[in-house]
Amino acid sequence: MLFDQALDIPESLNSDGLKISLISERLRYSIRIKKSDLVAVKKISGLSFPSKVGKTSLSSACDILCLGPDEWLVIAAPTEQTKLSKAFKKIKKDYVVSITEISHRNIGLSVMGPRAVRAINVGCSLDLSLQAFPIGKTTRTVFESASIVLTRRGEDAFSIECWRSFAPYLRDFFVRIVETND
Amino acid sequence: MTNFRKSGRGGVDRSKPISFNFDGKVYQGFEGDTVASALLASGNQLMGRSFKYHRPRGVVGAGSEEPNALISVDRGKGRVTPNVRATTQEIYEDLKCESQNRAPNLKFDLGAFNNVFSMFFPAGFYNKTFLWPKSFWDMVYEPFIRNLAGLGPAPDAADPDVYASSYGHCETLIIGAGPAGIAAALAASKKDGRVILVDEQSQMGGSLKSTPELEIEGQRAEDWLTKSLKALEKSENVTLMTRTTAIGYFHDNYVALAERKTHHVPAAAIGKIREELHRIRAGKVILAQGGIERPLVFNGNDRPGVMLASAAQTYLGQYGVAIGNEVALFTSHDQAYQAAFDLADANIRIPVIIDVRDNVREDLVAGCEQRGIELMTGSTVSKTSGKLRIKSLEVFTAKTDGKRTINCDALIMSGGWTPSLHLWSHSKGGIKWNDSLAAYVPDVANENAVCIGACNGDFGVAAALNAGHKTGGGRKTYATNEIDFGTGVVLNAMPNYIADTKQKAFVDFQNDVTEMDIKLAVREGFKSIEHVKRYTTNGMATDQGKTSNLNALEIASKAVGKPIEKVGLTTFRPPYTPTTFGTLVGYRDGELFDPTRKTPIDPWAEKQGAVFEPVGIWRRAWYFPKDGEDMHQAVARECKATRDSLGIFDASTLGKIEVVGPDATKFMNLMYSTSWTSLKPGGCRYGLMLREDGYIYDDGVVARMAEDRYHVTTTSGGAPRVYRHMEDYLQTEFPHLDVWLTSTTEQWAVIAINGPNARKLIEPFIEGIDLSPEAFPHMAVREGKICGVETRLFRVSFTGELGFEINVPSHYGRAVWEALFEEGQKYDICPYGTETMHVLRAEKGFIIVGQDTDGTVTPHDAGMSWAVAKKKKDFVGMRSLRRPDLIMEGRKQLVGLLTEDPKTVLEEGAQIVMDPNQPRPMDMLGHVTSSYWSESLGRSVAMALVRDGFNLMDTEICVPMPNENITAKIVKPIFYDPKGERLNVV
Repeated sequence: MLFDQALDIPESLNSDGLKISLISERLRYSIRIKKSDLVAVKKISGLSFPSKVGKTSLSSACDILCLGPDEWLVIAAPTEQTKLSKAFKKIKKDYVVSITEISHRNIGLSVMGPRAVRAINVGCSLDLSLQAFPIGKTTRTVFESASIVLTRRGEDAFSIECWRSFAPYLRDFFVRIVETND
Repeated sequence: MTNFRKSGRGGVDRSKPISFNFDGKVYQGFEGDTVASALLASGNQLMGRSFKYHRPRGVVGAGSEEPNALISVDRGKGRVTPNVRATTQEIYEDLKCESQNRAPNLKFDLGAFNNVFSMFFPAGFYNKTFLWPKSFWDMVYEPFIRNLAGLGPAPDAADPDVYASSYGHCETLIIGAGPAGIAAALAASKKDGRVILVDEQSQMGGSLKSTPELEIEGQRAEDWLTKSLKALEKSENVTLMTRTTAIGYFHDNYVALAERKTHHVPAAAIGKIREELHRIRAGKVILAQGGIERPLVFNGNDRPGVMLASAAQTYLGQYGVAIGNEVALFTSHDQAYQAAFDLADANIRIPVIIDVRDNVREDLVAGCEQRGIELMTGSTVSKTSGKLRIKSLEVFTAKTDGKRTINCDALIMSGGWTPSLHLWSHSKGGIKWNDSLAAYVPDVANENAVCIGACNGDFGVAAALNAGHKTGGGRKTYATNEIDFGTGVVLNAMPNYIADTKQKAFVDFQNDVTEMDIKLAVREGFKSIEHVKRYTTNGMATDQGKTSNLNALEIASKAVGKPIEKVGLTTFRPPYTPTTFGTLVGYRDGELFDPTRKTPIDPWAEKQGAVFEPVGIWRRAWYFPKDGEDMHQAVARECKATRDSLGIFDASTLGKIEVVGPDATKFMNLMYSTSWTSLKPGGCRYGLMLREDGYIYDDGVVARMAEDRYHVTTTSGGAPRVYRHMEDYLQTEFPHLDVWLTSTTEQWAVIAINGPNARKLIEPFIEGIDLSPEAFPHMAVREGKICGVETRLFRVSFTGELGFEINVPSHYGRAVWEALFEEGQKYDICPYGTETMHVLRAEKGFIIVGQDTDGTVTPHDAGMSWAVAKKKKDFVGMRSLRRPDLIMEGRKQLVGLLTEDPKTVLEEGAQIVMDPNQPRPMDMLGHVTSSYWSESLGRSVAMALVRDGFNLMDTEICVPMPNENITAKIVKPIFYDPKGERLNVV
C-alpha cells in the first residue's frame, strides 16, 4: 500500500543558507513511564530514556526525547520495529506504562543551515543561542499557530515534529520567509 | 531654490541631489534629507492643515513628535501610507507625497471656514450640538461628523506589500542611540552578553547630529560619533538597528520593535519585506529615549514658521538648513539660548531673544552681547502675523506696558523639556513630579529597566554620556564644552494685553486644542486630566500629545487650583508612534493567517471537485456536486445513494484520544456520564461527556481495545478542548489514577462506509477479521488488516445504515480510500460530504453537539437520559444534574418538528411560538436547531429545543417568518427507520 506523507517541499527551501527537508518514514511512540520506574525500565528495555525534561538521546536509528516528567517521544527508523516491539513487551510485562503508536500522527522536518535559527525564530519565541538551547536539547513549543517539538541536532541543524495536518502550514511559512527575504 | 541651505553645515550628501514630488510639485533635496528638511531648504514652511479649523500649519519639530506636518506617501495602488510625519520620511528619487486635510490645496483650503467660525466650535462642541433633535442623529449628524473625522486617505485597495515578524533575545537592549544610548552600548560591548541598540532615525546619534560642532573630549561631536559607531559595528556582540522604533514595552522585558526596511528605498519592489516586527526579550532594558522640547502656549503660536528651538538646531546641524533668514527666539528656559547661538554662529540673523523671565544668567547675556543679539527680558510674544508664514511678531513687556513689532520670517520657542516616559510607563515604571524641570521623571522601576540621560531628567550631553557609560557597566566620565542646561520657569499665564477670548494660543496643534478650551473644560466641571483629555481631545491625535500633554496638564492644574500631581497624568499606551497594520500582522496574512488542517483524503476530494466547509480550523468536504448540481441536488443524490446502496465518507477529522493504563476504566467512568464498567474489550459504546455544570460538552463512540486501553472519539471541532478537559481533570482532580492520555486524532485516517452494501464492499480487502454479523455485531471493534494495512475496524453507524468506520494509519489513508472507491464502483459507491452526513443523522434524530445543544442542555433535555449511568458513584457533572433548576419541569427539550406542508424546510435558528396572533412581544417557546430536506422521506424534517417539549407531543406550533407563519407539529425526533432494522442488513 502506498505510504504518502503528502508534503511536497519546494526547491526554494533548498539552499546553502537554509535547507528544509521532509524526514522519511519513521516509527513514533509516545511513552509514559512513572518516574520511580525509570531506572528499572531503562535497564530491562535497553533503551536510553533521558531522565531530565528537555534532554535527548539521539542516534541515526533511534531518537528518544524527554518531553515531560513522565513523557518520552521515541522516533526510530522502520528497521527498528522488531527491536522496539521486544523492548516494549518487556516493559509492559512488569511495569505500569502507556505506549501509544503515533508514527503517522507526526511529520518530521529537518531544518539546517546558517539561517536555520533565524528562520525558526520567525515563529518560535525561544532563545536559540547555543548557551540557551544547546545541541541535544528538545522541547515542545509553538511555531506561530502550530504546536511543534523542536530538537537541536547540531549548531545549525534542527528537527521539527508537528502533527501531520500542520505540516503544510509550517512549510508555507518557511517558503514565505525564504521568498520575501533578500 | 536652495537659498536656505547653509554651506559647510549638516550631514546631507551634497553630491547626491534627489528630486521628489510634494503636492504635485517637484522639489530638490539631498541624500540624508527628510521631506521636512528639504521643503524648509526650499523656503517652504507650509506643510499641512490642522484637523478641526484647517488652519495653515508649518513644521513644529524635527522628529517623530511632529504634530503638524503629516503627509501621505503614495507608492501606487494599495501602497498609500497616510499620516506619515514629514520630519521622519526620508526623501528618495521620485518620492511622491501629499499634504493632508485640505481641499482643494494647501494654500487655499475650503475647510478653513471652520477657522472663521471657530468661536462656535469650543471644547465639547460635538457633544453639545448634536444632542437634539434625536431623530437627526442617523441621517444628519452622524454622516456629517463621519465626513469630518479621520486624517488622511483611507486605503482603497489591498496592500500588496509583505511584512515580516520575528523573535529575538539579548542581554541588554538599549533604546535610543543618542549620547546616552551610545555610551551605554560602548560600555556594554566590552562585557559578555548580546547588546541591541535601536534608534528610530536613519542614522544614530540623536541630539549629537544637531550639534556637530560641540566638543566631546576635545573632539568634534560629529567625529566622536563616527568613531563610536565604528567601534560598535566592530563589536561582535552588538547589533545596531536604525529606522527601528520601540513601539511597546510589555511584561518581563518583552519589547516590540518596528523596523522600516524600505521606506527610504526608491521603487521598493513588491514581494520583499517592507517592515518587520521584532519581538525582543531582553535581560535588561536601558531606555535612552531623550526628551521632547515643550512649545510655549501664546497667542499666534501656530503660525507656519513658529517651531521648537531644538528643531531649528537640528535642521541646521543635521541638514544644513536655515529655517529662516531672521529668526527670533521666545523662551522661558536657559537651554534654548544654545539654539539661538548655534543659528547666529551660522550667520543667521537673530533679531531678538524674548525671555519671559526678568533675570537671565550672566553667561547667556554675555553670549547675546558677543553675537550682537538684542535680549528683551520680562517680555512675551503677544501676537504674530503673516498669512501662510510668520512675517512679524509683537513683543509685549508687561512692566512698561510696551508693545513693539519686530519683523522675522521664523520664530523659535522653548518652554523647557519633557523627558520621554512613554516606554517606561508601558513597563509600569513609577513616575514622580520634578519641580525644577516642571516635568515627570522616572521613579521606581517595575522591570529590570533603567532610564538614562534626558528621559531620566538628566539633561545635557555630558550628563547623558556619563550616565550611559555607567549603566553599560563602564566608568568613564566625559567632558564637553556645552552651555549649562540651566533652568526655566512655567508662568501662571502668558502676560498679554489682549483679552483671553480673543487669543488663539494652541496647546495641541494637531487636534486644535487651545488654552481656552482646556480652561473651558475645567469650568464645565472636568477636574481629572483624563476627563479633560477626552472632552477637549487634547493628546488624542496621531502624535498622542507628545508636545502638548504637559502644557495641557499645567493649564488644567492651574485652572483647577490643585498641584499638578493631584490632577494626574494621562496614560501612555503603545504604540509609541503610529504603526501600520502590516507590521502588526507580519507574515500572517492570507493563507498564513491560521493553519487550514486537511485530512489525508482531502486532495482526492479536491480532485473530485468537492465543495469544502470549515469545521474549526479543519476544512472538510461539504458535498460533491456533479454536472452543475447545486448543493440541494447534490445532497439529495448523496443521501439516496447511501441509503440505497453505498456511501463513502471521510471522517478523519474525528478527534481521537488513546486512554491507557490500569485505571483507564475508572478514569473513563469519571469523565463520562456513560458507564464503561460492563464494556468488554472489542466493544464500542456511545459516550456522553458533561461539564461540571451538568450540561452536555461532547459526545462520541468509544471503543475498548483492551482491559487497559480505550480508543475515544470526540467531535471534530471538540477534540482539543476535550483533550484539555480530560488532562486538566487527570492532573488536578484525579492524579492518583494510573492512566495516560495521548492524542491520536492524526494517527488515524477514518473512512466511513455506510449503506446496505457496506459489508460486501470491504469483505475482499479484510484480513484477520470475521465480518459476519454474529462474530462482528453492531457497536463492536476489531483489529486486523485492510488492503494489507493494519486497521482498527469499527462497526458503528451515524446514518442508521449498516456502517463501518475504517481506521488506518494516516499516511495510508488515501491509498485505502482509493482502493475502496474503485471496488465500490460495483455498488455505485457515492462519496458524500458533511451536509449529507448531517441530513442522514438528523433523519435518525442523532444530535450534533453544538448544533442541537448550546451549552445549556442536559442529557435529559436532549432525550438522552439513557446515556447517564444510574449506579455510578461519581462523574463530572453528576452533582449538578440534581440541581433543582436542572430537574424542574418545563425546561427546553429536544423534539422533532414536522411542518404541515411537507415541502417547507424551516430555517435553522428560527423562533417558535404557540400562537402567532398573540400580542408582541410574543412568548418564545424555543428555536429550530436542525432542519433539512429529507430525500428518503420525501419531506422536510427538523429538530428543535422547545420549552416543555416532551409534554407537547403532537401539538401544533408556529414558526413566524418575515413573510409567513409556518405551522408544524411536535413529534419524537426520529423520522427514519425508528426500529433500527436497517443496521442489521446481511
